[in-house]
Amino acid sequence: MKFFSLFKKELRDMLNAQTILTMVGIVAMLVIIGNIFSDSISESAKKSGDIVICDMDGTDFTKSVIKALKEDCEANDGSLEEVEIKSEDYAKELKRIDQKQVLIIPKGFTELAKEKHQTAKIRFVQRMTSLAMMSNLNTGSSTAFETFKNAVKNTIYQDKLAEDKMTPEEVKQLEDPVELEEITVVGNKQEEISSSVIMSICATQNMIVPIILFVLIMFASQMILNAISTEKIDKTLETLLSAPISRMTVLAAKTLSAAVVALLQAACFMFGSSRMMSGMTSGIGVDSDKFDQALKNLGLSLSAGQYVLVGVQMFLSILIALSIAMILGVLAKDAKSAQTLLMPITISTMIPYCLSMVSDISALPIALRAVVYAIPFSHTFMATENAMFQNTAVYIGGLIYQAVFLAVCIKIALSIFMSDKIFTMSIGGKKDKKKKKA
Amino acid sequence: MEKVLEVKGLGKQYVKGVYASRDVTFDIKKGEIFALIGPNGAGKTTTIRTIATLLKTTEGDALVSGHSILTEPEKVRECITYLPDEAGAYKNMTGRAYLEFMASIYAKDGQDVIDYVNRGVEICELGERLNDKISSYSRGMTRKLLLARAIMPKPDLAILDEPTSGLDILNALEIRRTIKKLAADGMSFLLSSHNMLEIEFVSDRVGIIAKGMLLETGTPEELVAKYEARNLEEVFEKVVKIREVL
Ligand SMILES: Nc1ncnc2c1ncn2[C@@H]1O[C@H](COP(=O)(O)OP(=O)(O)O)[C@@H](O)[C@H]1O
Ligand SMILES: [Mg+2]
Repeated sequence: MKFFSLFKKELRDMLNAQTILTMVGIVAMLVIIGNIFSDSISESAKKSGDIVICDMDGTDFTKSVIKALKEDCEANDGSLEEVEIKSEDYAKELKRIDQKQVLIIPKGFTELAKEKHQTAKIRFVQRMTSLAMMSNLNTGSSTAFETFKNAVKNTIYQDKLAEDKMTPEEVKQLEDPVELEEITVVGNKQEEISSSVIMSICATQNMIVPIILFVLIMFASQMILNAISTEKIDKTLETLLSAPISRMTVLAAKTLSAAVVALLQAACFMFGSSRMMSGMTSGIGVDSDKFDQALKNLGLSLSAGQYVLVGVQMFLSILIALSIAMILGVLAKDAKSAQTLLMPITISTMIPYCLSMVSDISALPIALRAVVYAIPFSHTFMATENAMFQNTAVYIGGLIYQAVFLAVCIKIALSIFMSDKIFTMSIGGKKDKKKKKA
Repeated sequence: MEKVLEVKGLGKQYVKGVYASRDVTFDIKKGEIFALIGPNGAGKTTTIRTIATLLKTTEGDALVSGHSILTEPEKVRECITYLPDEAGAYKNMTGRAYLEFMASIYAKDGQDVIDYVNRGVEICELGERLNDKISSYSRGMTRKLLLARAIMPKPDLAILDEPTSGLDILNALEIRRTIKKLAADGMSFLLSSHNMLEIEFVSDRVGIIAKGMLLETGTPEELVAKYEARNLEEVFEKVVKIREVL
């Protein structure tokens, strides 16, 4: 009963008008961001990037197409590079030519497109190394494909215009002269699916883990920090701890209600961010259902076991954040310093969160990577990718590091809570030093 | 008479080698009001906090209703209430909600909660204001609410650190009267104050503390007679001089 009335009080404190307003405001913001992104993504998808091309056909026709393509690229601040592909083992070939993607004009392209006036196929092969949005976005196949299509159209038009004759089939063909067949390589596996499609589907799925984690860490630690520091600042803690209730019960009630409210907020964020993501993907234009099987074949959807691995990491991160926030809450001297004390948690959550959104952490320069790996939360932000791309060593290493980190944090937090330190400790300590001298 | 508190050689060092309180020994009988008096920094709060099981002792022990603060702190907390120096209450609760919340922490069952709250409402004399948020209370009102909270569970021993400091004369007088009345009903009090003149009126016995050491204990009359002084302030001056502690 004591636990329950304490829990009720904490819950009421944490679920105040301000937190509820924040939640509503953030959901509204995410939806708006989604709409803005939807516009800017379809904008950036139009912009041409660099194109790497392999001409297997090698006819005059393909050569003039490539020439037109080159002009088109350069007009859009891009570049065109011609390479040689020797086999259909694209994983090996991409590694050999040291490229992330290649556009392939297959043998017989000219025969189909020029002689038989049929829709011809070209191939776009892309290697995926990360699910981070920005590391793949600039290499989208639709861009290369559109540019190529235009180049083919131009070349055929010019040929025909020179000969001054055009049949109805030719006109029909010109509506749709080439069709794209995309192949995505993950690890050693390849599937006939566009990497940009995978990207946008996976992004929706995989952004959810970091967002929930980010919200859980930030809000749970803010709430537990406030719950403890206000008790200290308003001098209600001594009263509470001199009552017939154990310190463990007090801690448990505060921790549990912080966790419950943080979960509530995470649910709001999930809703808001799924709306944001659907806004974003509608900008790219994806039809999701039929790609599920391809995702599974590529190993890009999590198995039940991998979900458990990610869950364990999340749980560890939240416990670490809560125990650090408890320690910091004890240190606070006033409401302002309590806010300042949140900074270390905010920063060390923001860094891996932002990095994992924007780029592939394992591809960062070594010094920066060391800093990121030292932040315990980073390992959870990378957990989904590590589980998917089977970086077992990195995953296990992160897990061990987090477990050790957590053990140390809990030990420190408990040693503070169960001892005099909860009353005698505070940051700065100038006041104490003066007292000692007196 | 039955002893509610027995303090035996209590000592506390916040920093190794520096005593904040040292070899403090005294006892409080049932229905007695005992006050620790001494200047700021004398060690009153330190002594009180160790008895309230908030701080761990460095030396000695204290028994509250027979329970040791060293070995049975949970039992001790069931027998005491503690009103800290300059304590606050949960600002966004109403006075009544605060009393209800604290009652639920001290109570053993639902009936207890009702009894405690009723007694608390009676003692604090806040009337309708109990339905207002504590953040709107004056200092005197908050203090009265906190005192009511400390007294409502009828503990064996109520520990009140500087119960009247910072209050105007009327509020202070009211609080002293409440304490006297409850002591007459059998509750014991451990008070502290740096205002030695004021404490003369309320306490049955006093302990003079300076530099962490308890120098003298006795009724105000005994001490005034023994040191041929006019009041406790003069007693304090003479005791400190004789024992050469300041
Ligand atoms: N948290 C602390 N850390 C170190 N020394 C302290 C602390 N709190 C109090 N002290 C020291 O203990 C001594 C007694 O303080 P205290 O018990 O608060 O005195 P009083 O309540 O009689 O004014 C003082 O010298 C004070 O400087
Ligand atoms: Mg004091």
